Amino acid sequence: MTSRTRSVDHFLPLTPPVLHTLVALADGDKHGYAILKEIARRTAGDVRLSAGTLYALVKRATADGLIVESDERPDPALDDERRRYYRLTPLGRRVAAAEIARLESIVEMARAKNLVRRRGLA
Amino acid sequence: MPGRPPSRTDRLFRALLRVFPFDFRADYGREMEQTFRDQRHEVRQEGSMAALARLWFETTRDVFTMAPREHLAIFQQDVGYALRTLRRTPVFAAAAILTLAIGVSAVVAVFTIVNAFMLRPLPVDRPAELMSLSTRDRHAAVPHGLSFADLQDYRSEGAVFTDLLGYAPRPAVLDAGRGVERVTLGMVTDNYFSLLGVQPALGRLIHPEEGRARGDVPVLVLAHDYWRSQFGGDPEVVGRSARLNGRQFTIIGVTPLSFKGTDALIRVSGYVPLWMIDDLMYTSGTSILERRDAHQLTVLGRLKPGVSLAQARAALQITSADLARQHPSTNKDVTLLVVPETHARPNPGIGPFFRVIAIGMAALAILLLLITSANVVNLLLARAAGRGREIALRSALGARRGRLARQLVTESLALALMGSAVAVPVVVLAMRGLEQFFAQMTSIANFRPDLSLDLRVLGATLGVAIVSGIVSGLAPALYAVRADVNALLKTGGRGTPGESRGGLRGALVVAQVALSLTLLVIGGLFARSLARADDIDLGFQPEGVLLASTDPGMQGYDPAQRLAFYRNVRDRVVALPGVELAAWISWPPFAIVYDTTNLYPEDQLPVADGETPQAFTAQISPEYFAAARVPLVEGRAFDDRDDADGAPVAIVNQTLARQFWPGRTAIGRRLRIESDTLDVVGVVRDGKYNFVWEAPSGMVFRPLAQDIPSAATIAIRTTRPPSDMSSVVRDTIRRVQPDVATYDVRTMRDYLDSGNAFAIFRLGALVTGLFGGLGVLLASIGLYGMIAYHVSQRTQEFGVRMALGAGAADIIRAVLMRGGCVALIGVVMGVLLAGGLAQLLRTFLLDVSPFDPLTYAAVAVLLILISLLASFVPARRATTVDPLAALRAD
Repeated sequence: MTSRTRSVDHFLPLTPPVLHTLVALADGDKHGYAILKEIARRTAGDVRLSAGTLYALVKRATADGLIVESDERPDPALDDERRRYYRLTPLGRRVAAAEIARLESIVEMARAKNLVRRRGLA
Repeated sequence: MPGRPPSRTDRLFRALLRVFPFDFRADYGREMEQTFRDQRHEVRQEGSMAALARLWFETTRDVFTMAPREHLAIFQQDVGYALRTLRRTPVFAAAAILTLAIGVSAVVAVFTIVNAFMLRPLPVDRPAELMSLSTRDRHAAVPHGLSFADLQDYRSEGAVFTDLLGYAPRPAVLDAGRGVERVTLGMVTDNYFSLLGVQPALGRLIHPEEGRARGDVPVLVLAHDYWRSQFGGDPEVVGRSARLNGRQFTIIGVTPLSFKGTDALIRVSGYVPLWMIDDLMYTSGTSILERRDAHQLTVLGRLKPGVSLAQARAALQITSADLARQHPSTNKDVTLLVVPETHARPNPGIGPFFRVIAIGMAALAILLLLITSANVVNLLLARAAGRGREIALRSALGARRGRLARQLVTESLALALMGSAVAVPVVVLAMRGLEQFFAQMTSIANFRPDLSLDLRVLGATLGVAIVSGIVSGLAPALYAVRADVNALLKTGGRGTPGESRGGLRGALVVAQVALSLTLLVIGGLFARSLARADDIDLGFQPEGVLLASTDPGMQGYDPAQRLAFYRNVRDRVVALPGVELAAWISWPPFAIVYDTTNLYPEDQLPVADGETPQAFTAQISPEYFAAARVPLVEGRAFDDRDDADGAPVAIVNQTLARQFWPGRTAIGRRLRIESDTLDVVGVVRDGKYNFVWEAPSGMVFRPLAQDIPSAATIAIRTTRPPSDMSSVVRDTIRRVQPDVATYDVRTMRDYLDSGNAFAIFRLGALVTGLFGGLGVLLASIGLYGMIAYHVSQRTQEFGVRMALGAGAADIIRAVLMRGGCVALIGVVMGVLLAGGLAQLLRTFLLDVSPFDPLTYAAVAVLLILISLLASFVPARRATTVDPLAALRAD
């Protein structure tokens, strides 16, 4: 068990593009362009990845076992032979969750010191 | 969308993606194109050209950020793989690294020397503008410097040069309050530092316009190195006074650390204004600065911006022609030479000669690097053949061939870099040794070239390593790419590429064996000469003699004072316990600076001008022949009668006596030397005076008291080991006259070993022995690589033969035969080559025949044994082949 924990910690901290990508894949398999669009939409355009960055991180995350290429094509009508879909692995899910928890603890700490306020309560 | 032909933008993006590594492109290229197409589509729908432009800009920037990272990642991976592979084959790795280290060392060593003498810009303002000016007259073979008067005339030309500066390195005696020391000074024109743009580290430097006449401004600027070593970097030194050649000077400043003077060979300890040259040299009569025939100065000029070298030459030719008209006696038939400063190192006289030697050395070094690279190719090919199956397997498992090739090149690159890592410290040590060698030659001048490795050399090393790594790795990489996977898997990895080059490979090894044999033979002959050196008849007995040199003339002592000094020192030294005899000589045998004179016997008419006989000449005190053990053949030695009041006398050697009075006695004859007529009172045995290999030459000795030299060396025959006496002798001389510096205090044996006498044999034996040894190492690695490859190609054949009943001994014999044959051809060629070369060097061989059978036989046997050993290792491996496995591989 400890070895698994260590293997999750080993990936932390994640760079924002990696974390965003893992989060984008949390609710279902997506192809590259869909990942980019999702990230841009969720961050209101603050985070815009380019193709080079995206596929370099896809390559690394695949090699690390955080994501895999999925063989299922969710929507055959829209499918294109050039598109590959990516899926979050259980390890990827744990790593993403661990990173979020890490960030949360930092946010908690900041709140305790009144560095930031809870949104909506101010 | 599928099947749609790519648009022009698609093709543009695809071209952009080519900066990614091949594998990455193959894995994700199509998806990236699709993603980018989608992004463009989306932006286009918004209809904003600015947004489209931003997308292109950001995507392009992203590609150029990410692609290098991908390349680096692959490189790291390949280096890791290469290191693991090399660790598994340590013998191969060591052989390859060593081989490359030898090749790279040779190139780096030569480049370091070339850098110091031809490339490294002076650490001054805009060094590229500096030009060297020198003159050549019709009678002299090499260019020489300018007189101060000429320099002033060229300075007044003014159109092409901002200004011209002149300097002259001169020995001097410095006394800064802690005893006297012999140093080398730079005597510089007042504008020296300002024109170069050198700023002081401390105090101030010599100002332009500082001093306008002889004897003006007795100021001294210390060189940074000297200030550090002799004054411990004491900042309080500025303003202190010091004595130079007995004259009072004020220390005004220290040069910066980076500035080591403008002479590539001689390192000066300080700088004084040129106006002081007459005072320091105790010139009587016409100032050196006024004499147009005193070509004392090395001259540099700074070109005006925008003026070309050709324009400068043309303008100065006019001045030169004017000078020839105005001063025909000194300037007629004199050509002015203007070349970039870097072309005139270490001085204009030997600069051009040096360049030719440097190019030759560079060519040899590159040749050596090519040979070592070829050896590494052999090693890599031998291993690639052995790894054929691994590579084929990886290839079959999906590794792309380009990727495999890239990885093999990375591996040889790693080898080359490790080879360089070995080479650099070796070269640093070798260059230090060379600097030492220069420094120990003599104290006449401080010879100390700066042979340090700078960024330029390290950059060049890296370049050489990368090129040789890629070149060596290319052949096996191509082998891996071209090899047919199926065929390789079937034959078990013994492909055929490279087999057609077997002949070339053999020739390469033959050449290496031949060259290393040549070098070893020459080295051996030098070593044998050195061994004979003890037995050679020098005409005197060097053992048990200590030498110490002094230069009272430099302190301005007149002849009477000098004679008193010499006599005083001699009397006190002889009274020291452990001293048997002591005597002065104006220059000891094999000195770098020596005297010759024109002379003829009084009873024979002087022959036409230019053909007057010449002989060496030296002044000695009466006990010299006894102290040096020079046998008197006839007549008498000098004694106390032979002083200024006595009749002028001379003692000649046998060669001179034979030359002038063949078959008759020389005693009682008279010699004319310049305006003097000397009675010959004795004849001594011949000796060697300048070089060990010189033909017997005439020598005339005169009594010190009748012709008092400015500088002289005392030869002390001791009853104790002479080296034990050096400090007491130094002290004794200092007590006689504290302001006269004593230098080059050393035993006669040391002096002979490091000076003109035997240094060349030691250096020759060392250099050729070293390179010969390296050559043998290279040749044996080359032979090993060749035989290993040969064996790897024939594993199956050996298996079959063993299956058919051949024993291990038969296989080993077959392989050894091949290696032995190659070595034998190399040995025969090497013997012929060495014989030819030794013939050319026969002058330098002492009492050793250039065909000395012992040397040749020893080296040949050594090389054949090493060759057989190099072949034996792979031969033994051939016998470990399991016949069944070898057969099954089919």
